[in-house]
This record gives sequence, structure tokens and C-alpha cells, in this order.
Amino acid sequence: MSTTGVPTSNGKYALELQDVHCYYGSFRAVKDVNLKLHDKKITAFIGPSGCGKSTVLRALNRMNDLIPGGRVEGRILLRGKNLYDQDVDPVEVRRRIGMVFQKPNPFPKSIFDNIAWGAKINGFKGNMKELVEQSLRSAALWDEVKDKLDQSGLGLSGGQQQRLCIARAIATQPEIILMDEPCSALDPIATLKIEDLMRELVKNYTIVIVTHNMQQAARASDYTAYYLMDRSDRAGELVEYGETDQLFTNPKDKRTEDYITGRFG
Amino acid sequence: MSQDLQPGNIGSYPEDNDLKKFIDNRKRGGLLWRLSFQLATLIAILALLALLYNIFNGAFGYVALQNKVDPNALVLAMEEDQMLSSPKTVSSEDDNELVKRIENNPNAIGFFGYAYYNDNTDKLKLVSVEGQTPSRETAESGEYPLARPLFIYSAADVMQENRAIGAFIDYYLTNVNTVIEDVGYFPISDELLNGATTSWSEAVGDQAEALQSYAANPADVSDHDIRISGSSTVYPLTRQMAIQFRRAGFQGGLDLQQTGTTAGFRAFCEDMTADITNASRPITRAESEACGDKKRTPVEFRVGTDALAIAVSSKNTFLENVTKDELRQIFTTAETWSDVNPAWPNEPIERFIPGADSGTLDFFAETVFNRKLPELTESELVKILEANISTGLMRRYEAEKPLAERSQAELVDLVLERVVEQKVVGSWKFTESLFNRTKIEEEVARIPQGELQWRSWISPKFLITPQSSTPELAGVRTALFGTLWVIAITILVALPIGVGAAIYLEEYAVMVANPILRRVNAIIQTNINNLAGVPSIIYGILGLAIFVRAIEPITSGTLFGISDPTTANGRTIISASFTLALLILPLIIINAQEAIRAVPNSLRQAGMGLGATRWQTIWSHVLPNAIPGILTGNILAMSRAIGETAPLVVIGASTFITVDPTSPFSKFTVLPIQIYQWVSRPQPEFRNIAAAAIIVLLILLLTLNASAVILRNRYSRRLS
Repeated sequence: MSTTGVPTSNGKYALELQDVHCYYGSFRAVKDVNLKLHDKKITAFIGPSGCGKSTVLRALNRMNDLIPGGRVEGRILLRGKNLYDQDVDPVEVRRRIGMVFQKPNPFPKSIFDNIAWGAKINGFKGNMKELVEQSLRSAALWDEVKDKLDQSGLGLSGGQQQRLCIARAIATQPEIILMDEPCSALDPIATLKIEDLMRELVKNYTIVIVTHNMQQAARASDYTAYYLMDRSDRAGELVEYGETDQLFTNPKDKRTEDYITGRFG
Repeated sequence: MSQDLQPGNIGSYPEDNDLKKFIDNRKRGGLLWRLSFQLATLIAILALLALLYNIFNGAFGYVALQNKVDPNALVLAMEEDQMLSSPKTVSSEDDNELVKRIENNPNAIGFFGYAYYNDNTDKLKLVSVEGQTPSRETAESGEYPLARPLFIYSAADVMQENRAIGAFIDYYLTNVNTVIEDVGYFPISDELLNGATTSWSEAVGDQAEALQSYAANPADVSDHDIRISGSSTVYPLTRQMAIQFRRAGFQGGLDLQQTGTTAGFRAFCEDMTADITNASRPITRAESEACGDKKRTPVEFRVGTDALAIAVSSKNTFLENVTKDELRQIFTTAETWSDVNPAWPNEPIERFIPGADSGTLDFFAETVFNRKLPELTESELVKILEANISTGLMRRYEAEKPLAERSQAELVDLVLERVVEQKVVGSWKFTESLFNRTKIEEEVARIPQGELQWRSWISPKFLITPQSSTPELAGVRTALFGTLWVIAITILVALPIGVGAAIYLEEYAVMVANPILRRVNAIIQTNINNLAGVPSIIYGILGLAIFVRAIEPITSGTLFGISDPTTANGRTIISASFTLALLILPLIIINAQEAIRAVPNSLRQAGMGLGATRWQTIWSHVLPNAIPGILTGNILAMSRAIGETAPLVVIGASTFITVDPTSPFSKFTVLPIQIYQWVSRPQPEFRNIAAAAIIVLLILLLTLNASAVILRNRYSRRLS
């Protein structure tokens, strides 16, 4: 059904990373990541600063392409199709794999336009009003903003802005939503709301979240991947990946144990 | 303070008093900087004020105007002409003739000196004016509107050389009051008479006593002749005095003529065929100047008061009193009596008036009509034009814009320009005008036909008049249009190219992976930065070489077959615009780059993250956010381009052009060029209009900037 050859997913794994290496210019930031992301589950990427977890996340929807010199080697398979194949358009990848950023970044437009713009440029045909309402409801923001849809998205609080960004991502109906430390700029209450929202969204979407907050990973995710920088070549690598409960209670790797028990990091 | 935090033996920070002093010292240092910054600001403000003062000072102030022709005389001549050419009008210099024609005609009306009425009270009926009848009282007090002084004129050298003249005038002044009432005029007060006597003794100087003795014994100056000319009004009085003078023993020749005041002055001043001239009005400045040309200084003697009598036949039954307004109609446009007043009979008015050379006619016209040039109607102004300028010139004006279609103000201007030939002969700056008023007035008084006028050199007329070689007639219309054309095209060319280049450099060039291309982009960027600092005249040379010469067929429009007939080369608006566009391109690119760079990266990521293409992201998010900054840069660039002179001089902007530019292929001038050209002219008045043009330029600049700022603010508001 896709002209650019990206197959839609309906199986067990949403994404498969095979021997992925990420580079910035000549510097290898991440090496040799092999990972299978479970469909309709929340996967958390954790690890200390500089371990490459955000880089891997951005590799998943080719956002690294936007950074001059950014480059990915290896294969990232979405239903068997490598996202980095020559015939794959990064624009379509991003259309299928949405993203929410660390700092809430709504457009300096009305709340309505914030959501409608993505739909419009992606060729949405249908009832735009309903789409906006549905997206906002899915992002648990509808009740708070339904009376001020024509006001600027910048007028909302930080937590609301982040939920607006989530609603904006949902509106384009992606398969996977990537979240890059979505709560790092928020207070605990707003953070909890986002976590509740993620639990709600995961029924329909595959979610990958990068977080510095281990409690958040433990609370909110189904699977956890722990990254660490290899001191020998300063490249990040995947140390351990597994179900969250298992990884937090019974880590297989000594380095993971050090990190989650707070002895390191 | 916790001892744990002490750096200990590594070093120490000042404490207690030292700390206080240390902080004070630092503050003092800051204060010094602050004061110097304040001083710098003050200097900048002072410089700005001085600049504005200078411009303002030149643009307003007094001017001395000099008329080649007295506009009042023009009006008078036109009025008299109208009177004389009215239907059923007979004029004669001989007042007895007028009396004779009126006495038996009940529909006749006329005017002449009161003496003629006085001699014919049985045949004529006196008409009161505005309810006043002429009498000694009403004439002296001026209540009777048509009262006027009577004069005789002579000159000091004439009286000294011709002792008979000197003696006769002394005799005249001594004895006039004894005969004047018999003649029919009203005597003047002793005060005025003494004034006249004083003028006489001053004029004759040390000969006064000798002349006085001759006056007592006129036979002694019989070896001289006396020639008298002038007013027919004064004539009976002077004749009476001459008769008495002869009776007193004068044996010399006595030539006494009545020619009218104006002709009398001509005989006295220009032809020198009269030694004394009678006058029923004061000498005009022009006549006085004519005398001066022949080294004759006229001396004026007031000898009596005349009241001009409006007379009808004693057979007239309906006319008792007229107003000035009715007089105006009676002697010009009205055909029947009932035209003027429905109570009067429907009979034709028959007019009998003194001739064109008569002072009485001048006096009547002046007193009854009493209008200034700007008050005349369109047709009257056209009459003045027809009477005073050549038919060829008339045809030219008619071709430019039919006179009938011109407004009254336009016609007044045309009369002032062409007939009066009003010229600015001196101008003063604003402050001089305010504080040196008396000095200026003295200077203007020395100018013949001079007139002081407050003038704002900047005026609506200044905006819509094209260039002229006469400063007071020049305007900035051509330059204003030129500037607007040039700026519009400059911005149209420079803005899209500049913003486009900035988008490429900021959004696309950074993504180029090829190292050679990256190198090229870096070189381009460096070059753009350097180009912003290149002297503008270099751009002029570039423009001359490329736009004016190399691609002349394009810039002159001949390639498109739409070249302006006034120009056959590339020195056109479009060449100027292209040159200025090149000049401001680096400015626009650099500012737009800054603006684009200032758009947070998170917005780009948000856009791309939603599956937008790079261009969609730029168009929808980057550009709208960068527009305020881009517009700011554009304002700066536009201001630079408007004020630019040097490159346009090089590419050959016209310095004198009176034709509005009609297309991008017209030749042109712009405001700065116009100003530059005006300040370099020798006549000081050009400095005044240069100042006015600078104000126009400033206002234009502020208007354009203000609109850009408003646009920018609207964008900023929409985004926040």
C-alpha cells in the first residue's frame, strides 16, 4: 500500500535495529545497537548523559539527517523494510514515526492550527474540527482548551504545551511515537499526567521514550533499554535490554545493576 | 560567615571595611563609564538637534519680494479699462465737457472734482455716497468716502535754478487758503500748510530768503518762465494762483495745462516739459523712480482737499444716494438703472467719466473698487494676462492647460510669475527672521518695489511643482516621483533576491555535505559580509559598466520597444534601481540571515518531525517567525537606498529635469541628487529650497519606515 515501500506494521515487533552505528561527522556516537521494539508497548531508553540514547531515538525517524554530518549505518527495519534504504523518503518515515521533544515546542499559532497544520501538510481529507477534537481528547487536553482553540499555543502551561505536542503528533496518525525526555521540563504533577497519557496511548501506539528518570522508566514502561558510553572509544552502546520488571529487579549486567541501584550515574 | 568556606592560606577576600571600600570603588568605576555613555548619548542628541535646526532654519523665514510691475497698478488699469469700455460710456479729460453732457440728460451720471459741481449747482444734482454729502467737514474728516488730497509737485534743483518757480510755490503756499473755497475745494489745516512750507524751505535751502522776497515782488523774476502741467482737478486752483501771481507783477511766460495727474508726472519726470505738476494723488513709487532716473527728486506740497462729486442732472428725479457697491455696478456692468436697484427706472445708464490719464479716474477706481490682485475673478485675471503678455506666450499657456479651465489661484500665480514678475531678491533664515525683524525691514525698505513676506519654503505647491531654474518657482515633484520609482523597483528586486539568498545560506547551505561546495558556500558568505562595507561609489561604477553600458538595450527599454522618447541610453530608473539593489543586497541578506538564524531550531524539528518537507517547514514556520527581523533589515536597507547619492551621480541621474518619470525606462532624478544640485548653486534661495527638499526627504523616509514598522509590529503581535 505504500509507494515508497515502507510496510505498515501489525506484527509483534514495531521496529528492529540491526547493527546500528550513529555518526556525527567522523565521530561515532553510538555503536552496534541491536534491538527489537515491541509493538503497542512502551520502551524506555535509559542511561547516563552522553550514552547515546537520544541519538538512537532520533535515528529511528531519521531526525539525525537534519544535523549536518549526522549519519547512520546499519539497518532499522520497520516491518522488514530498512528505513535507511535509498528508496525510502525520510519525510514519509517521519510521517509514520512521530516525535515529541524534550522542550515543549508548539508552533506560535493557535491551538487549533498547531494540530491542523500537520494534518494539512500530510494531505488529511475529512473533518478537520473532529480530528482536532479527537487528537486533543486523546492527549487529555480537550477539556482544558476546548474554549480557547483560537488562542496561541504558547499561552498554555508547560505540561499543557507538551500534551499539545503529543496531540499534534497523534493527529497525523503515526504508528510509533518517539518521546525525547518529554517530562524533563515539567513539574511532578504534569509529569504524572503525561505518564498516565502514555499508558492510555500505548493501547493504539508503540511508544519509545528516552528518560533520565529511572522511576519514570520503572513506572511507565514495559521494556527498558540501558545504554552506556564505552570509555575506550567514547561511543554509546546498548548494555542491556529486557522487560522493565526483569531489568530493574534482576539485571543481568553488572553495569546495569550499578546504575539502577544508584552506585553510578 | 562559615569558616569552612574560607579559602584559608590560598588567598583571601576583602572583608568588613575593605569590602565596603572595594565595592564602592567598583561602583565608582561603573559610574564613570555610565557618565561617559550619557555624554555620548547627549552628543548624539545635540548633533541631531543641530541637524534639525539647520534644516528647519533654512526652510522657513522672511523673503524680500520685488515686483517688476506693481500689482495694484495692474488691477487699477484693468478696472479703468473695464470702466472705459463699458457701454454708453463717454470719457473726456475736460471736466466742463462732462458737465455739459450730463446737465440735460436725466439718465446720465458722472464724477469730477467738487469745483465743477460748485460752478454748476443750478444744472447738476449732487448724489451722496454711503449717506455722506461732500462738505468741508466730511472731506477733512474723511467721512465722505471720495475725499482726496490735492498736491503740487516740483523739485529742489528746479526751484533753485528757476527762481520764478521757487517764488511761485512760496506765493502759492502763502495765499492758497484765501482763494481755495472760491475755486470749490476745501482748505487744509494750518498744520498741514506749515508742513508744506517747511518742505519748501528745506528744498530751497539758503535761497529761502531771496525767494521769499521775490514772492513778495514777482516782477523781479520775470526773466523766467513757468511751465505747469498735470491734474485737471487741481488746475482751477493753480490757475487762480497763477492769475494772482501775474497780477502781483510777474511778467514771464506762464504755460498752464491740464493733462491729468499721470500725464503730468510723465511730463515732469520723464519729458522734463513741466517745472511744476498738479496731482490729485500722491506720486507712485514707479513715477518717483522715473524722476530719479533723470536726477530729479520730487518735492510734494499739499495744497488742499478735494471731494470727488458724483453728479447727475438736476432733471434726475430718482437718484439721491448711492453705496460704493452700487457705484461699482453703475460704472461697470450695469446697463439700466433698474439693474442696479429695482426702485430705479428701467432706463439705460449713460456714463460720463474722466479719461485714462486723469488722476480723478485713478482715484475713483482705487477708492470704489479697492481690490488686490488675489481678489480678482478668473475672467479679470485673464484680461490682465491678455493685456500684458504676448499672444505667442498666451497660446503656449493655452496649450498647456486652457486658461478657462485654470483655477483662480493658478491664474493669480501666472499673473505674478509672468506680468508682475515677482522675484525673491533676498531671503532670511528662520532665526534671523524672528530676532532681526527691524534690520530685515530696513533692508527691504531699500529695495524698490520691495515687499516683505513670510514664507514656508516647503508647501503643497513645492511638492507638486517640477524643477525650475528660478528657486521660488522650483519644486520637488520630479525628484519625488523619481525617488518613489527607484525605491519601489529597488525593493522589488533586492528583497526577494536577498531573502532568497539568506534562506539558501541558512537553511540549505549548512546541509551540503560535499566539501568543495561547502568551501564555495563559505567563500560566498565571506564575500557577502565584505560587500556590505564596499563604498557606494564603487557600486556606481559597477552600475555604469553593467547596467548603463553593457546591457543598455535592456535598461533603456529599446529591446522591448518601449523606450522613453526623452532618453536613448541606459541612464534610466531601472539602471539606478538595479545598482541600488546591488548596493543594499548584502545588507538585506545579512539581516535576513540573522533573523532566520534567530528562529529556534525546535520549531524546525517540530515541523520536520510531523512529516513536513524542509520547504514546508521554512514557509510555514521559519519565514513567518523571521519576518519581523527581515523587515527591520529591509527598513535599514531602504533608508540607505533613499539617501544614496554617489552611485546615482556615477550612473548619470539627471541634475535638471522637469518631466515626470513615466516608466522604469525614463530618465530621472532623485531627492538627494536634487538637494545636492541645489546646495551647489550660487543663489542663496536654492539653499532654502534644498532645506525644504531635505524635509520632504526626511518625511518620506519616516513615512516609509513607519509603515514598515507597523507591518512588522502586526506580524510580531500575530506570532506571540
